[in-house]
Amino acid sequence: MHAAPAELSQRNRRVGLYALLAALAMLGLGYASVPLYRLFCQVTGFQGTTQRVSAAQAASVKVAAATMSIRFDGNTDRDLPWEFKPQQVTQTVRLGERNLAIFTAKNLSNRPIVGRASYNVSPDDAGKFFNKVQCFCFTEQTLEPGQEVRMPVIYFVDPSITKDEDGKDIRQITLSYTFHEDKDASADLAAKAKVASKGLDRAGNAR
Amino acid sequence: MIFAEKARRAGSVVMALGLSLTALPRAAFAQAAEAAAEATAAATEAAGNAAAKAGSYVPMKPVPGIGQPIDGAYGFQEQFSPNGHYALWMHNAILMPIITIISLFVLGLLMWVAYRYRTAKNPVASRTSHNTLIEVIWTLVPVLILVGIAIPSISLLAKQYKPAPENALTIKATGNQWFWTYGYPDNGGFEVISNMLPDEEAVKRGEPAKLGVDNRLVLPVGEPIRLQTTGADVIHSFAVPSLWFKLDAVPGRINEKVLFIEKPGVYYGQCSELCGARHGYMPIAIEALPRDKFNAWVLAQGGELDHQPKPAAAPAAAAAPAAAATEAATAEAAATESAAPAA
Amino acid sequence: MATTAETFQAHGDAHDHAHDHDHKPAFFARWFMSTNHKDIGTLYLIFAIFAGIIGGAVSGLMRLELEQPGIQYLTLWATWFDGKPAEMNTALHLWNVLITAHGLIMVFFMVMPAIIGGFGNWFVPIMIGAPDMAFPRMNNISFWLTVAGFCSLMFSAFVPGDTTGLGAGIGWTAYAPLSTYGSSGPAVDFAIFSLHLAGAGSIMGAINFITTILNMRAPGMTLHKMPLFVWSVLVTAFLLLLALPVLAAAITMLITDRNFGTTFFDASGGGDPVLYQHLFWFFGHPEVYIMILPGFGIISQIISTFSKKPVFGYLGMAYAMVAIGVVGFIVWAHHMYTTGLSVNTKMYFTAATMVIAVPTGIKIFSWIATMWGGSLSFKAPMVWAIGFIFLFTVGGVTGVVLSNGGIDDNLQDTYYVVAHFHYVLSLGAVTSLFAGFYYWFPKMSGKMYSELLAHIHFWVFFVGVNLIFFPMHFLGAQGMPRRYPDYPAAYEHWNHVATDGYKIMAVSVLIFFINIAYAFIAGKKAEDNYWGEGATTLEWTLSSPPPFHQFETLPVIEDAHHH
Repeated sequence: MHAAPAELSQRNRRVGLYALLAALAMLGLGYASVPLYRLFCQVTGFQGTTQRVSAAQAASVKVAAATMSIRFDGNTDRDLPWEFKPQQVTQTVRLGERNLAIFTAKNLSNRPIVGRASYNVSPDDAGKFFNKVQCFCFTEQTLEPGQEVRMPVIYFVDPSITKDEDGKDIRQITLSYTFHEDKDASADLAAKAKVASKGLDRAGNAR
Repeated sequence: MIFAEKARRAGSVVMALGLSLTALPRAAFAQAAEAAAEATAAATEAAGNAAAKAGSYVPMKPVPGIGQPIDGAYGFQEQFSPNGHYALWMHNAILMPIITIISLFVLGLLMWVAYRYRTAKNPVASRTSHNTLIEVIWTLVPVLILVGIAIPSISLLAKQYKPAPENALTIKATGNQWFWTYGYPDNGGFEVISNMLPDEEAVKRGEPAKLGVDNRLVLPVGEPIRLQTTGADVIHSFAVPSLWFKLDAVPGRINEKVLFIEKPGVYYGQCSELCGARHGYMPIAIEALPRDKFNAWVLAQGGELDHQPKPAAAPAAAAAPAAAATEAATAEAAATESAAPAA
Repeated sequence: MATTAETFQAHGDAHDHAHDHDHKPAFFARWFMSTNHKDIGTLYLIFAIFAGIIGGAVSGLMRLELEQPGIQYLTLWATWFDGKPAEMNTALHLWNVLITAHGLIMVFFMVMPAIIGGFGNWFVPIMIGAPDMAFPRMNNISFWLTVAGFCSLMFSAFVPGDTTGLGAGIGWTAYAPLSTYGSSGPAVDFAIFSLHLAGAGSIMGAINFITTILNMRAPGMTLHKMPLFVWSVLVTAFLLLLALPVLAAAITMLITDRNFGTTFFDASGGGDPVLYQHLFWFFGHPEVYIMILPGFGIISQIISTFSKKPVFGYLGMAYAMVAIGVVGFIVWAHHMYTTGLSVNTKMYFTAATMVIAVPTGIKIFSWIATMWGGSLSFKAPMVWAIGFIFLFTVGGVTGVVLSNGGIDDNLQDTYYVVAHFHYVLSLGAVTSLFAGFYYWFPKMSGKMYSELLAHIHFWVFFVGVNLIFFPMHFLGAQGMPRRYPDYPAAYEHWNHVATDGYKIMAVSVLIFFINIAYAFIAGKKAEDNYWGEGATTLEWTLSSPPPFHQFETLPVIEDAHHH
């Protein structure tokens, strides 16, 4: 413990540096938590995060006799002038069987808008059993003024939900989407349209 | 008072804002939705006339002290749900006695020690600074107490998270700055827009000021309800103290919890997550009715009663002509659709 | 304590007295470019008192508005504040600015600067027999960053926070999306930036304390002989070091979400607003221990001194703090029970949260056991410390109630929570601050305060704060949500009582300032060890106030006879 001043200040610098590194590591962890949290949700279905599977994977799932009721819910962000709703309130599906559900979206404004959907299922514990083979939520959606589209989602519920401690009591799963405007993409679109409209006749507005 | 006047004016602005907002993107749901939206809008616009338009439905008068706070009260509001009873029992019979005894025990010990070992009485301090036995005891006894608390606590959580049955009525509460909208997807998808009543109006209707709303969330009693929440702008929280219910309304996601109301009545709550200026002015009022009266109310709102799950085949078949839509995603889906086993 | 007066070889002490090298720098250099840990500690204390007055005044405005149902004063204040007749929404926005300011000021600019910056800087080096902190210049930067942060927060009140009014009305938790696209004005950026500044200052402080405590202990001062206050600051420094960077990351992401189009917490770009809450509370829960642990340390010193006994179960006490610190990092989601967590998550956080009660219980009982068999003298610090033990117990047991996820469904975001955290912070941390102040003030200033006034201060304060906060349990149980400027008439009774309590508490603060003034004007000169035989840590071997530079020859701590 008896340290000469020079030696002490060197030791201090070393400990201080370690402490600083620890702080920087935590700072990095703070940022890393964004992808890590997303990954965690995707892997565990935490927060009702649905699973994404390929058609091949989906084909290998055995269809069970048991059924599950699926409810569909559509919302739009306050600032998005779209009408977005499920075409069916509920579906009763066999576990493991692929099903198609349709949502409709209509752009009520007079400008093209790029939308992106956030989604989850509830109850939360259903997340790891709810598989999407194909979904309009995987990509951004662009709607021209007044355009109405039907947006499909192909999904199935993993039959192992009946064996899961937290999943076995679930009788209905709600699949919920909320559409938000991707403002940057919409702005890009508007900028492009402006450039294009300079040279082009705007006749394509017939829809 | 000048403030109250301002409040009313601002309230009506918000009301109008709410109308225009909800009228645009999400008023309509099903075929009957337009009519429903009109009915809802009309009901919001002239809340006073709502009863007349709604036919047999007359808003229930709240009972003082039921479903609302009581001035000067010490404990919780009276509970009207099974989970509420259990939670209240747990608080009153387990937690409260334990924490009271612990606090009084510590206070008693402090007072006894202060009295017994004051300098005048005990001029020479002992040097004791260890006693393994007593240290083990005061580590283990709290552990045992906590285990004793944890058992009913875990059981309460399990009850609260018991999923709703398949055919449970589903209600969606959407938090907006600063009002609530209540969707009835099983009843044709109509929506109710619920704004706080100005103080004088609330008093006139026999409702507590700051709790009364123009259009209540009407629910059936005696059956589990799947209550879902979401936020339209920022996070809100749907809370009703007398039903032991609180669930955040988070934008971009849906939350759900089972609500079971035992008795008909009016149950008030308030937004419980800071959501901006009028956070304090977006109360929740639930009116719980017997099923037949609830049904009558639904019909009066332009809703429908058939909420049987529709067969999956119908929408899938109807989707076939959807290929006309220009979206690439839809086209892709149509392709996969034919590949998918026909439902 | 491990270091007792009997075993302390006092050559450092003698040296300091003999040598009259106590030349201090001139005023500006001394107070604005200070590298002396005691001067910096003093600066921190003065700053904390100043911020405390502002934060306390803000809570006074809040209690005044809440005295009756209806909006009483907010419109008037908003009119003064904005310089034009205020709309209702502007008045209500002002309320949110007040609650935000109160929370941020009290947490970041009152309790933390006082307890860590003030007492930590003053007494940690002395208690371990070090001449100063490890990085004296960084110590100075820490302080001025905190001041800069405070200025940024104050400045935020005068720029638009929203379309409705001036100032940031986002709550101290700054939940997204209210703090991102929910509040458009620059005030929110300044408020968030103030946390960056204060946070950077605190991280530097933490590095400084860790290095000082690990490297600069006097010969013989092993870790297991350090006074418990030093232990508490060491644990706190680690909490700061590991928790604050996470806050920094979270609020930086808020800033970029607000200004640079990122969508970390915005569902429109695939972000998740709930993630912000996870990050905030990963910092926020350790933060409450950051505020209270040094208080535990102060209370341990005081109880031991006035019982004339070493602390009972020293090792248990030290490691209970370590345990609280460690467990504090794995319980954060109990602040988020209603956000929509799955049942297993909620069960885990319920159980983990309850675990904290065990080390906390060990501390409470060890303090009582320290008094047991002692020879107690009830000087002002001791009375405050005993008050602390009781008030903290009350705050602690309501924490056990709140830890139950199923019970919290009704209490989350109500006044019950407000009551709980004010019992552990306002009545816990602040009481320990006053205890520490009365314990060390004469050591720091060289002047004795009025013992009588200190006792009156305690009793008036005790009555006042209990009147403010105890009825809040009832309000919360009845369902009154927090952060409300207005309420149904049925909440009037207890709100009225709470406001009366505030007035009493305000009188007690006045008594406190009178007492300080008395001490400086007419206070007796303080002796080196004015508490007598019970006070055994190293600061009592120095003069009051201690020399500008102490321990230029390090003291040697001989092996103590305990353990």
